[in-house]
Amino acid sequence: MAEFLQTVETSLAVGALYALIALGYTMVYGILKFINFAHSDIVVLGAWISLRIATEVLPKLGIDPRAAPWWAGGAVLLASMAACSIIGFVIERTCYKPLRRAPRLNVLITAIGVSLLLQNLGQLDLFFGTQPARMPSLLPNTPLVQWEFGTEGASRRLVIGLVDVVIFLTAGTLMVLLELLVYRSKLGAAMRAVSFNTETASLMGINVDRIVSLTFMIGSALAAAAGFLYAMKYPGLNQPAHTIWVLLGLKAFVAAVIGGIGNVRGAVIGGFVIAAVEQFGAFYISSNYRDFYVFVLLILMLLVRPTGLLGSTVKVKV
Amino acid sequence: MSSAPLLAINDIGIRFGGLAAVQDFFLHMPPRSLYGLIGPNGAGKTTVFNLITGVYQTQTGAMLLEGQPLGGLPPHRITSAGIARTFQNIRLFGDLSVLDNVMLACQLRAKNRIAGTLVRSRASVGEEAAIRMRSLELLDVFDLRARADEPAQSLPYGHQRQLEIVRALATEPKVLLLDEPAAGMNSGEKRQLAQTIRRIRDEFQLAILLIEHDMELVMEICERITVLDHGVTIASGPPEQIQCDPKVIEAYLGVADDEGAEEQSSKGAEEK
Amino acid sequence: MPSNAAHSPIVLREADALRPPRGHALLRGIGPLLIGVAIAAVMQWGVGPFVGTYVARILLDVGIAIILAVSLNIVNGLAGQFSLGHAGFSALGGYAAGSITYYGSLILWNSSVKHGGPFGAGEWLFVAACLTGGLVAAGAGFIVGLPALRLRGDYLAIATLGFGEIVRVMLQQTGDVIYSARALEQATVNDFFPPPLGGSLGFSGIPTYTSLFWVYLFCAVTIVVAQRLKFSAAGRAMVSIREDEIAAQAMGVNITKWKVRAFVISAFFAGVAGALFAHESGVIISPGDAGFQRSIEIVIMVVLGGKGSITGVLLAAAILSTLPEFLRDFAQYRMIIYALLLIGMMLLRPQGLFGNHEIWDYFKRRRKSSS
Repeated sequence: MAEFLQTVETSLAVGALYALIALGYTMVYGILKFINFAHSDIVVLGAWISLRIATEVLPKLGIDPRAAPWWAGGAVLLASMAACSIIGFVIERTCYKPLRRAPRLNVLITAIGVSLLLQNLGQLDLFFGTQPARMPSLLPNTPLVQWEFGTEGASRRLVIGLVDVVIFLTAGTLMVLLELLVYRSKLGAAMRAVSFNTETASLMGINVDRIVSLTFMIGSALAAAAGFLYAMKYPGLNQPAHTIWVLLGLKAFVAAVIGGIGNVRGAVIGGFVIAAVEQFGAFYISSNYRDFYVFVLLILMLLVRPTGLLGSTVKVKV
Repeated sequence: MSSAPLLAINDIGIRFGGLAAVQDFFLHMPPRSLYGLIGPNGAGKTTVFNLITGVYQTQTGAMLLEGQPLGGLPPHRITSAGIARTFQNIRLFGDLSVLDNVMLACQLRAKNRIAGTLVRSRASVGEEAAIRMRSLELLDVFDLRARADEPAQSLPYGHQRQLEIVRALATEPKVLLLDEPAAGMNSGEKRQLAQTIRRIRDEFQLAILLIEHDMELVMEICERITVLDHGVTIASGPPEQIQCDPKVIEAYLGVADDEGAEEQSSKGAEEK
Repeated sequence: MPSNAAHSPIVLREADALRPPRGHALLRGIGPLLIGVAIAAVMQWGVGPFVGTYVARILLDVGIAIILAVSLNIVNGLAGQFSLGHAGFSALGGYAAGSITYYGSLILWNSSVKHGGPFGAGEWLFVAACLTGGLVAAGAGFIVGLPALRLRGDYLAIATLGFGEIVRVMLQQTGDVIYSARALEQATVNDFFPPPLGGSLGFSGIPTYTSLFWVYLFCAVTIVVAQRLKFSAAGRAMVSIREDEIAAQAMGVNITKWKVRAFVISAFFAGVAGALFAHESGVIISPGDAGFQRSIEIVIMVVLGGKGSITGVLLAAAILSTLPEFLRDFAQYRMIIYALLLIGMMLLRPQGLFGNHEIWDYFKRRRKSSS
């Protein structure tokens, strides 16, 4: 019982991270119809920028990152989100905008190029270097809840840590905000219109370029948030080009596909589904195969329902 | 001999969502016949073509070509059974040359052994040469031989429509379905096209079913005409009879004078 | 014009008369392969000994990259099916071939080191292993291809990406390599489950048979096959699928059959390339070689070369696999330059080096040397 609940708890925290990243993939796909392979690198940037701010900017402001006040974490998060959304904006304008009418494969390759560029720029000593670094814990990871299960001697504990709760709440808040933005605001209506049919949207007087830029900025900000929260949960940050980041991005992407790529709510559901499959598979079957479950689920999903849980089927016109 | 239909279509239909796009469609075509299929935009004409060629699967009825059932066959099997088509919105292989477009269709009747291709066997080289020769011959139907090596997408619109017909002929069909072959042509070109369609029917000994908006053209060359409206057959008979049918006049002829506007709206309406 | 007779298709009536004379056909059929053998021999004995091991090693990598890129071009460039799993097929072939030569050598010759000289028994075992590796990959291509090809465009790319990652994880979970003939004799059934292929560290100890001769011979075969496919009924069928699936079907093209064929042929050569890679000296084939990053490197070669252009892809493979070496002086900046070149190329020349064309469309004279 305790193991089960503990796995549920981890799934929720990790799932929230996947969902945040998946949102970026799905929003870009929804509007530009290409897989933004550079998205996972924005997550990396988010994590590393957070680390740099926490280790270099905070001390200059007279704040000890190891005993930071409660708002310091929030400030780092916001700074990192702002920085990444600017980077996202610049990338979109310089690399993707000129390719608006090019074949999608070309845009995909460009995205891969951007990904390589970010990874290798990140490895320069000028930026983050090639060594792993440790994120200072801006939050004390005190267990909020501890429950004992079972009889004495064979008792198991369920621990709900502060970090997991913060991750879940922060990610949840951001997702609700996004939901409100996309489905309840005028701007969101414009975004959905562009996603549905770019040409018609521009005929209706929507500034498509601005919407696309905005989408990239929001996606990048969410990725930065995911990066920050990831660094909170796993403080040992690997160097920017490490495969662990690529895998994190890939799995979030799988989450977006499983939810129905292009669908904002689907990405959130997909994130939690992926996390649950991964965590439960790792705990109850074998942790060696945790990536395996995710990709097998992907293949099964594609075969049974290629448009994902919430995706709609597109009828081919003849 | 001519009493048995070459193509017998009995009661086919399809619904998209709750909407009956085509229902209770009947058509019997004898060999070497030239029939027309008309109706206002969104009447379901192209859907009938899509049903016959297997792009959509009919949900009712049966289709027989020379007595062989076609129901449930995938599109490529229907083509090899002997039904070829052109597309309303031209679907050439734009990056391929004009000749390659025709050769692709032509090779349907060849053996195309992949092992032979890889070792370049004599049989495969001979086959390829024969396909090329035949394709060039077919390009002469519309005087396209001179442009054989140009990419198909570089042809002017009218030639692209002609190439679509050549390509369909190259599959050696028994029945040819032409979807608005005269679209975008001026009246002189239309008159020429009418002659060509007759000539194709006689030379290749085909049955031809024609979707066309130009009433003059249809009335001139078609032996029988079927009129669709909202997926339902509202009339069927020889041109003289169709011309005076009050239901047809109401459904179709009444709105037939602003064709330009119709073509605009047809894209969405036809494919529901 | 001839009339429509019932049985024999009009198109084939002249086919027999148009067959070329026997001698001519044989020459055209085998000629390019003989040229390939000659090029391979020149690379092995004319170039290899004089350029030093460092350059020879680069030449090996270039040859293998060409096989990978030209074979991916069959499925991606010709048939237009976007696969991100090419490295997965390649690694499967590499592991299959490696296990044949490694354990085969242990059984046959009690040692896993290279056995015999040029064209000796060991080398023939290696060739057989390469072909088997190709077949294993082709089999995987068939199994993956059949269901995956129902998917279109990006979804196919995602599914093949998933396949590559699955291969990678499975290879990571393999067991330790059995290190000697003695140990192999004493091994129990349990030592073979999971298969002893080295786990996440990679399959080390595979004899190093890969030479310039074999790499460039297989290279030539790959190019000849790709070229013959492209300029034939098969190539037209594949390109028609790339251009417009519905029109292709309407012209009688069985699109599923041709997609699977493209996948299987392409996977076969990927497997051969993997086998050559696994037997290269100084290389330990590892699960990472199946991952999607490797696949992407190959995709980049195809896109830079131009979809469907065999010579363009060949050139792109050669350039991209040597570029990092040329940029070696810039050490940490070389990947940045590579990335910038990639982005710049997509922005400035999106159709790739040659678009849909072959080099000889620009310089007709070069035709002979590249086929």
